[in-house]
Amino acid sequence: MSPSTSTLVRPGAEEAPSAERRLVPELGTRPGSFRRYVRETALLVGRGLRTIPRVPERLLDVTIQPIMFTLLFLYVFGSAIDVPGMRYQDYLLPGLLGQGLAFGVMGAGAATAADFSSGVIDRFRSLPVTRLSVISAQVVGQVLEQIIGMAIVVGLGLALGWRPDLTAWGFLELSGLVLLGLFAFTWLGVLIGMTFRSPDAVQGLGFGVLFPLAFLAGTFVPIDGMAAVPRAIAEWDPISALVAAVRQVCQGSHTSGSWQLEHPVPAMIGWCGLVIAVCVPLALRRFRTIRAA
Amino acid sequence: MTAPLAVTTHGLTRRYGDVVAVDGLDLEVAAQTVVALLGPNGAGKTTTVRMLATLEAPSAGTARVCGFDPVSQGDEVRRRISLTGQFAALEDNLTARENLVLMARLRGFRRATALRIVGELVDRLDLGEVRDTLIKNLSGGQRRRVDLAASLVVQPELLVLDEPTTGLDPRSRQMVWSTMRDLVAAGVTLLLTTQYLEEADVLADRIVLLDHGRVVATGTPTDLKSRIGEQRVDVVAVDTAALDQLVAALDGAFELQVLRERRSVSIPAPGGSADLAHIAAALRATGVPLDEVALRRPTLDDAFLALTAGTAA
Repeated sequence: MSPSTSTLVRPGAEEAPSAERRLVPELGTRPGSFRRYVRETALLVGRGLRTIPRVPERLLDVTIQPIMFTLLFLYVFGSAIDVPGMRYQDYLLPGLLGQGLAFGVMGAGAATAADFSSGVIDRFRSLPVTRLSVISAQVVGQVLEQIIGMAIVVGLGLALGWRPDLTAWGFLELSGLVLLGLFAFTWLGVLIGMTFRSPDAVQGLGFGVLFPLAFLAGTFVPIDGMAAVPRAIAEWDPISALVAAVRQVCQGSHTSGSWQLEHPVPAMIGWCGLVIAVCVPLALRRFRTIRAA
Repeated sequence: MTAPLAVTTHGLTRRYGDVVAVDGLDLEVAAQTVVALLGPNGAGKTTTVRMLATLEAPSAGTARVCGFDPVSQGDEVRRRISLTGQFAALEDNLTARENLVLMARLRGFRRATALRIVGELVDRLDLGEVRDTLIKNLSGGQRRRVDLAASLVVQPELLVLDEPTTGLDPRSRQMVWSTMRDLVAAGVTLLLTTQYLEEADVLADRIVLLDHGRVVATGTPTDLKSRIGEQRVDVVAVDTAALDQLVAALDGAFELQVLRERRSVSIPAPGGSADLAHIAAALRATGVPLDEVALRRPTLDDAFLALTAGTAA
């Protein structure tokens, strides 16, 4: 064996009795070890986050849409929308935040589809890495990216005059709801990305399904004023629950109509729990059986 | 003591609905040898490799990889093998070195050790020039070599390469081949898939010819070629008039196979260079102007066409 290959063996490691000298990992590789899982997940999340400064345009996915909506509605349509008892900034921004939780599906789905079709995921799956950490990293990385995106939108909103009415407890409640929503809808996105395997297909699906639901959700205009049919849909639209919950926590405003609009926080928790209960097992199952495109 | 086997499969099968991608494959790869799975697109090469690398579960049959079952002992198998898939599986927006360090750390090394391993690897594979370049800015060949390097942050017991040179220009291909030869010299067991007959011929100790998910033939490159037929001398005349003259002059003395559109005559030469000398003397005696005279061994292309012809649906 050449010297250059033998130096790959950890110094001091006992020589294997077999003809093959193998490299002995330094850190725990016991299957099922929690520390191993955390370490591997952190490494894989790091891989995604380190590319953000190199391709900042990746964050456009999570920022440009809410920024455009903010400017468009605040300065173009906002003047024609009357929300009783509220400044439009205070109505719009919490709505955009709530809606943004669901829109995470598209970003997570597109990123997952790209990773799965590029072979990167297969490489990770062929390494001695806990498979759960590969998919966990996908979710954690996406959630972090969306938090960065949301921070930008919140900053812009505050600069344009949004004044949330938050106590310390309210802030904690808001943070918890936002994390729950991001977690749930990112899993949905990961599942969709693994299923469709094409970022374009995921974007198309997002526009087809999410946009109508988002416009009906009371994000931009109050549901009370809608005609009977859209109003019926809006009252049970899951995005309505997200929007109303964030708005209630941020501004203390109340909506009425359906049960979920009158109790938006429990409704939002319920929707998110449902999405998690359905998507996590499906995504894990799909991850184990996935094949090359 | 018999040589240990790095890979054995018995009746390995993978179905996708009604399509049988791999159909009852029996395969053996002896440790420290190079085995090439050779076949056209859709022959089942990639599916086979993916099952061995624990990326897919077989529909039927069994496999042992480095002594472990890829289905029930996946982690043990993954610790002992490295797979370089068909597409360069690197993070485009990280540099070559960052990618390699990530691989080493995922294999269980501390940062400092990972940096040292990668430093040595970069020297050994001569990647110094591309070390700090983002993967997306590398050429196909450079990317492929970094991809190979990613499989070598540990010395695996078995290195699996899925079509390592598909899509590369000839120069990059030569570079990848030379890297693979170095690995083999260092004692790595190599299982590679390829559509290129030349690649299998140059690198492999044993070739397994696959078609429609089944083994069509297996043997050393020389074996396979000898099963196809003998060597021949190909003679190319300067023009068709010269070809006619040549055929008239040689007819009777040799068993001629005339290929009019190539202006060539092919003559069996089972005796190799001795026959070549004999034929060359006869050619000189005719005085016909010639373009080219060459002794040709049967290529794996000949082998492939001959051996798969019988199995075509």
